[in-house]
Amino acid sequence: MPFQTLKKDTAEELSLEWIMHVKNYKLNLDKNRCVGCQICSLACPKEAIRIEKQSKTVGEKTQKAKVDIDLSKCNFCGICDILCPYGAITVTVDGKHLLSVLDKESFPQLIRDIKADASKFPMDRDKSEDVCPINLIKVHYSTAEGKPVEDSCSLNESEQHALRMKVEVDKEHCPCCGICEAKLPQGAMHVRRILSGKLAIKRENCPEGCTDCLDVCPITGALYLSDGDKKVHENEMFCVYCGACKIVCPVDEALDFKRTRINHTPVRSGAWNKALERLTSPTDMTKELKAKRSLRARESVKKRMGLKEEQRV
Amino acid sequence: MSKEIRKSVDTARKKTKPRQKKARPEAESPRIGVFVCQCGSNIASIIDVDALTKYVQTLPNVVHAENMNYPCSRQGQDEIIAAIKNNKLERVVVAGCSPRLYEPTFQSCVSRAELNPWLFEMANIREFASYCHQTTPGEANEKAKDTVRMAVAKARLLEPLKPIELPVTKKVMVIGGGIAGINAALDLADMGFKVYLVEKTETIGGYMALLDKTFPTLDCSICIEGPKMVDVGRHPNIEIISYADVLKVEGYVGNFKVKIRKNPRYVIAANCTGCGECRDACPIEYPNYADMYLGARKAISIPFGQAVPLTHTINRDYCIECYKCVDACGAREAINFDQKPEEIEVNVGAIVVTIGYGMYDPKDLAWTGYGRFSNVFTAMEFERLILAAGPTGGKVIRASDGQKPHSVAFMQCVGSRDINRYEYCSSFCCMYTLKHSVMLKEKYRDAIEVYVFYNDMRSNFKGYEEFFNRAQKSGVKFIRVKLENRRITEDPQTKNLTVCGENEDGKPVSVEAEMVVLANAAIPSQAASELAKILKIPLGKDGFFAECQPKIRPTDTEVPGIFLAGACQGLKDIPYSVAQGSAAAAQAASALSKGSWTVEPLVAKVNDELCSGCRVCESACSYHAINVEKAGDKSTAKVTEGLCRGCGICSSACPMDAITMPNYSDCQIVAQIQAVMKRELKKHD
Repeated sequence: MPFQTLKKDTAEELSLEWIMHVKNYKLNLDKNRCVGCQICSLACPKEAIRIEKQSKTVGEKTQKAKVDIDLSKCNFCGICDILCPYGAITVTVDGKHLLSVLDKESFPQLIRDIKADASKFPMDRDKSEDVCPINLIKVHYSTAEGKPVEDSCSLNESEQHALRMKVEVDKEHCPCCGICEAKLPQGAMHVRRILSGKLAIKRENCPEGCTDCLDVCPITGALYLSDGDKKVHENEMFCVYCGACKIVCPVDEALDFKRTRINHTPVRSGAWNKALERLTSPTDMTKELKAKRSLRARESVKKRMGLKEEQRV
Repeated sequence: MSKEIRKSVDTARKKTKPRQKKARPEAESPRIGVFVCQCGSNIASIIDVDALTKYVQTLPNVVHAENMNYPCSRQGQDEIIAAIKNNKLERVVVAGCSPRLYEPTFQSCVSRAELNPWLFEMANIREFASYCHQTTPGEANEKAKDTVRMAVAKARLLEPLKPIELPVTKKVMVIGGGIAGINAALDLADMGFKVYLVEKTETIGGYMALLDKTFPTLDCSICIEGPKMVDVGRHPNIEIISYADVLKVEGYVGNFKVKIRKNPRYVIAANCTGCGECRDACPIEYPNYADMYLGARKAISIPFGQAVPLTHTINRDYCIECYKCVDACGAREAINFDQKPEEIEVNVGAIVVTIGYGMYDPKDLAWTGYGRFSNVFTAMEFERLILAAGPTGGKVIRASDGQKPHSVAFMQCVGSRDINRYEYCSSFCCMYTLKHSVMLKEKYRDAIEVYVFYNDMRSNFKGYEEFFNRAQKSGVKFIRVKLENRRITEDPQTKNLTVCGENEDGKPVSVEAEMVVLANAAIPSQAASELAKILKIPLGKDGFFAECQPKIRPTDTEVPGIFLAGACQGLKDIPYSVAQGSAAAAQAASALSKGSWTVEPLVAKVNDELCSGCRVCESACSYHAINVEKAGDKSTAKVTEGLCRGCGICSSACPMDAITMPNYSDCQIVAQIQAVMKRELKKHD
């Protein structure tokens, strides 16, 4: 069998494949999870990913932008997989989700700092699960004996008190908006952002009645339609800075958007620096490099002077 | 013609004196001898040679005429020499066969009689008379007389000439680093010539480096070739220019100027030790051409372990520029992402072309199922499967389930011996199929059934028929089928294949096999047509380089100083490629060893006084051999003797009559025309 390349594009998924006799590379884009932000296309080192704005139909909600991947350019490195805040892309080698770029420390991992304290969760399962705009929180109740309990609300207070709770967060697909932390009782969830940045709507530039950005935003509450001026307002508290809104915005000056920082594991890699420069800005990339350099300088001084942490103060 | 040229032509004409008419040669001078050849019955059966000889004696200046059976034989030549001496002959005409083959023979014959070899003329009464007018002997005899009369008329005006000696560069370029090129390079380098071995890919070795075993001895292929590759890399007289393309070739034998582009490897060859630490650090993989894309290699890597030069290459199509390789290389500092393509120019005296062959992709032969059925392989893919250093570690496994097949069918003549694809026989497929089947049978014994669907088993050459017998004895089943109506189908469940054909009686035969291997045609290299244009050498109709003469000059091309060896001239297996590589090396060495190259003096001569520098000749010459150059205040045409092929186009194009072709001058040609017209006039009188 000769070397084969395959591309399948359905309503549910887009998949690319390299089939070699002894090895199989596969990239899978879950179109239900994809929000049409531009992160993968900016991060791709081979410029294989294209984002296409969908044409608008009058009277209907604006469609999220569509992702297309060029099979002849893709090298299955998995950088898109690593950076997708929604975990929509999966790259596998022989069916295993083990990325060589991580293994060889050629690329960092996003830090999804998510902690859940089940004891602080409310008794109402639906209420706790529904806070997540993309349904990633699952709560399980069981009796002290370990028997699963389906309907916890019907129990009386003492019974409820005896229940054991287990909270499962699908971290892999979580963009870390922090809505759960804000809406659930204090201490139930702890979420740190992956991406930081700036989002400001210049409403004076918004076309009359335009809600394109709001239509595509996957995080309920990050954008909202104001009752007063009937225009879209932003709530940066919940924004994940994915940029899906920026892609569909019809007026360039209407949306002031930028990413400034990405929370990632430490790495020394040219590929990361380039991706960071494209995702944030050259200035922000330089900032990170400077921070890294000063950290290294401090380390080496520490090593040379033989100073200990306490003595330094 | 433009106004300016016409004007300059007119003024130049006025300046020159009217041409002096040549005095009619005296009756006895020059003394011409004519030798009429009988050529067995080739000429004598149609042409009355006695009558022709008698007729020749009546022509002016002819003082001696005789006919003989084979003037080209040793005895015939001795007789000619004796006749020249006895009759004090000053010009010699042989009326016989084609000058293309025999002119050099007779030129050396007359020079042995101390006569200038260019005072010899040939009249072709075989091809021009006896061969082409066999049914009309009367007219044939008349035409023979005309032909001889013309030759005598020209001979009267022949002038003695001196051969031209051109200096040569004692360096050779070998294009293509396969086994033929490796041998040519090593032989030439051992003879003391500086050799540039230019290779398109990252490593020398060619197809042989990718094979598992060689037939009929089942020697490990890379174990034989590897040491030779290392020798090439270490030889002080050989410079390997790998990962490079030949862009342009100018000049002529002894003085070629070759422009080469060295493609960037992004690795500094001098610093790279080939340790492979960069490869281990690299996170990216892509399909490896050396494994026929069955397996992958790193974005910074070598195609296979024995690569020469052992320099890693970064494939920027796949590299993500994480610079982990730079970290791994460390103090050696061999990696340079800023490398650019580099163009270099090399002067060489001779070029040996050994670019090898390519493989036909059987995807467009629908009946084979190749590309659709996962367990159908090409022979080269099978070669990488069975190779211990290959992507599967030498395990022959199916693509559909990774299991070892219990039956393998080989299908011969896929694309070759097919008038709609490649009409020729690919020459080595029968033998490598025998090799594969013997290897399978001797490795797995009764655990595997091996079938070979063949049409003709071609196992000529030394030791090959014996190898065929070994295959038969080892239990391989040979099934003879017609080339038409062959078919391979797949069971969608088991992914097993059914191979069908028709035997000699037209009855269907079919066998179920778990794996099929196609003997796909070997075809001309992809680079051949482009290189043919660059080198100005012709391709044959099959797409392989055309040799000068298929029987006695198989390594020469039409261009002096450019030689051929290996499969690029015609498909051949390893021992014959090796032998031809050495043959081409010897040819190149003999062209350069004398220190100068002798050119026939039949090249254009420019009369500087008459030349107006109008450049008409420049555009007329298809060999770029004539150029107008400024000398002092006058521009005149200059001929590059090494490039001039003596075609005479410039001479006839020149509006000033400033260019003459020695021994093809106007007065010589006019004399021939006058001689042939004489009969015509008589007829009409």
